[in-house]
Amino acid sequence: MKTIRQVKREAKHLFLLCLVNGSVDEGRVRQVVASVLRIKRRGYLALATQFERLVKLERLRHTATVESAAPLPSDLRANVEASLVRLYGPDMSTSFAESPPLIGGMRIRVGSDIYDGSVKAGLAALEKSF
Amino acid sequence: MADLLTEIEAQIVGAKATAAKQNVGVICEIGDGVARIEGLSEAMLNEMIDLGHGITGLALNLDETEVGVVILGDYTQLEEGDEVRATGNLLQVPVGKGLLGRVVNTLGEPLDGKGRVQSDVAYPVEKLAPGIIRRRPVTQPVQTGIMPIDAMIPIGRGQRELIIGDRSTGKTTICIDTIINQARLNQAAEVAGDKEFRPLYSIYVAIGQKQSSIARLITVLEEAGAMPYTIIVASPASDSATNQYLAPFAGAAIGEWFMDNGMDALIIFDDLSKHAVAYRQVSLVLKRPSGREAYPGDVFYLHSRLLERAARVGEQYGNGSLTALPIIETQEGDVSAYIPTNVISITDGQIYLETDLFYQGVRPAISVGLSVSRVGSAAQLKAMKQVSGQLKGDLAQFRELAAFAQFGSELDAKTRAQIDRGKRIVELFKQKQYSPIPVEVQVAVLWAVQNGYVDDVPVERIKDFQARLTEFLTLRKAELLQKIAQEKVLSDALVAELKTVIDSFKQTWK
Repeated sequence: MKTIRQVKREAKHLFLLCLVNGSVDEGRVRQVVASVLRIKRRGYLALATQFERLVKLERLRHTATVESAAPLPSDLRANVEASLVRLYGPDMSTSFAESPPLIGGMRIRVGSDIYDGSVKAGLAALEKSF
Repeated sequence: MADLLTEIEAQIVGAKATAAKQNVGVICEIGDGVARIEGLSEAMLNEMIDLGHGITGLALNLDETEVGVVILGDYTQLEEGDEVRATGNLLQVPVGKGLLGRVVNTLGEPLDGKGRVQSDVAYPVEKLAPGIIRRRPVTQPVQTGIMPIDAMIPIGRGQRELIIGDRSTGKTTICIDTIINQARLNQAAEVAGDKEFRPLYSIYVAIGQKQSSIARLITVLEEAGAMPYTIIVASPASDSATNQYLAPFAGAAIGEWFMDNGMDALIIFDDLSKHAVAYRQVSLVLKRPSGREAYPGDVFYLHSRLLERAARVGEQYGNGSLTALPIIETQEGDVSAYIPTNVISITDGQIYLETDLFYQGVRPAISVGLSVSRVGSAAQLKAMKQVSGQLKGDLAQFRELAAFAQFGSELDAKTRAQIDRGKRIVELFKQKQYSPIPVEVQVAVLWAVQNGYVDDVPVERIKDFQARLTEFLTLRKAELLQKIAQEKVLSDALVAELKTVIDSFKQTWK
C-alpha cells in the first residue's frame, strides 16, 4: 500500500515536470493526467487527486479575484491589473466580480493573500476594536 | 460647533484609505483539537491564527501546502471551509507583578474569579534562553526550609534541580514547603525593612493534575500566607493537550519577566512527565513521526529549551534569576526510563525520593545516595557548609553499614558509633510537611549534632530534643539566631556562644 507521503512525493515530482520557466505548462499537465489514468499504477487515483491539488494551488497563486460593491470603471480595472502584475508577476489572470455586501471599496484575493479595503471590513475592524 | 465640523471635514479630506495585506487560509480538516489549513502561505512557526468565533490557534506544522494548527479553545464551533487569518503575532501571555496572588490558565486568563489580571506587558510564550554572555554563575542560595536539602543538596538561584520519585512520595510537598519558606522570608524582610534582601517570587505550573489537587494546593498556600508572593498557572487534566503542552512555557515567560527586571523567581513544573505525554498527544494528532515509546523525536529539545530558560543573568542584563524545580514521576522507581533520563541529563542535579523510605516514615523520603546538586554548593551559606560538610558522607556510610549490620554480625565500637550517629541524623532530618525550618535554626541544630550533643540522646527522643532546642533558641536566644542569619558564617566567637547556649540547654533538657 502506498503511503500518503509517497503519493505526495510522486505528485510533487510530476508537478515539477510540468513547469516550464517557472510556469505550469498546460500541455504537459494534460499529458501527465492522461498517462496516470492510462497506466493505472497502484494508488493512481490518489496520485491524480494530489497532482490536481498542486495544479489548483499553483493556479490560485496566479489568479486574482477583485470584488467590489459596484462595477469598476475600465481605467480603474486596468490600473488594478497593472498593480497586480507588478506585485505577482506577468502570468496573472484577473477576474472582476460584484459583491454588494461589501458596501463600498474593494477586496482583492490572490492565493492566500487578501487586500481588503471594503467598508464591510472597516466596520468589522471597528466592531472588534470595541 | 462650526469649528468641530470644520475639524471633522479636514480630517476626512486628509484620511487616506489603506488596505493592509492579510494572509488567509481555509480549514480543510478538523478534529482532536487540530485543524489542517490550506493556504496561509506566510504563516510563521508558533504564530497565532485567528480561526474566527473568537477562537485562536497556534501554527505548529508548516508543510508545503498546508499548515497544522492546534486550537486553543472550543473547536466544536469551527467547520470545514471556514476562512482563517494569520495574525502576525506569536503566542503571548500577560506578565508582571499584577499576576502575583492570581491563578491563571495557559493564556494568562484568570481562573480565580478575582477579575481581570492587572498587566500591561506581554511576553512571548516561546523565547530563546539567555546565552553564555548574559549568564553568570550561581552563587546565591534558595532556602527551601527543608533541612536535608539545605544541608546536603543545596539549591542556588538560577539552578535547575529535578525532583524525581514515584507517585505519592512527597514531590509536590517539597515544592510547597519551598514556596511557603520563600513567602516567610519575603514577609520577614518586608517587616524588617531589609533593603538588601532579594525577595524570591514563586510560580507554580500545574500540568495535567486533578482540579481538586490544585484547589487543595491553593488552600494550603492561602492558609500559609504564601499566595501574595505566588502565581499559579493551572492546566488541569480536563484541559486540552495543547494547553497542557503550552502551560510550562507560559509559566517560564512569566518567570522571565521577573528575571529581566532584576528580581528573582522560582518556577515549579508539576510535572514534566505529564507534559511529555501531552506533547506526545499533540504530535500524534499532527501526524508527526513518532519514535521511542511513541514520543516525537524532539521531546528532548522540548524539555531542554524549557529548562534552559532558567538562569542567573549578569548585572547589565537585568541582574535577576529564574530557578527551576521540574518534577518527574517515575514508574516503580525506574529512573532509567526515557523521559526521566532526558530530564536528569538536562538539570543541574536531582532530589530522588524513595517509596521505601517514605513508608518507613522517613519524610521527606530523600535518597541521599542518588540525590545530588551540581552547582548549589557554591551558593550554600558558609555557616551551613561549616556544619554540614561531612553529613552526606556520614549518611551514605550509615546506609551501607546498616545494611551490613542486618546480618546480625558483631560490630566493633567504631562501626556501632557510626550507625548510631546515622540513625540520629536520619531521625533529625524527618520533617513535618508545610513547616519549613529557618536556616539559622538548621545551622544551630546541625552544629549540635556535629559536636556530639545528641550522641547520648535516645533515637526515639531525637525529635523531642530538636523541638525543645528549637523552642529554646527561638524564644530565649533569638539574638544568637539573628547573629547567625546576619553574619552567615560561624566565627570563633559565634561558635563559643553556641557552645555555651547548647551546654546550658543540655543541662535543662530531660
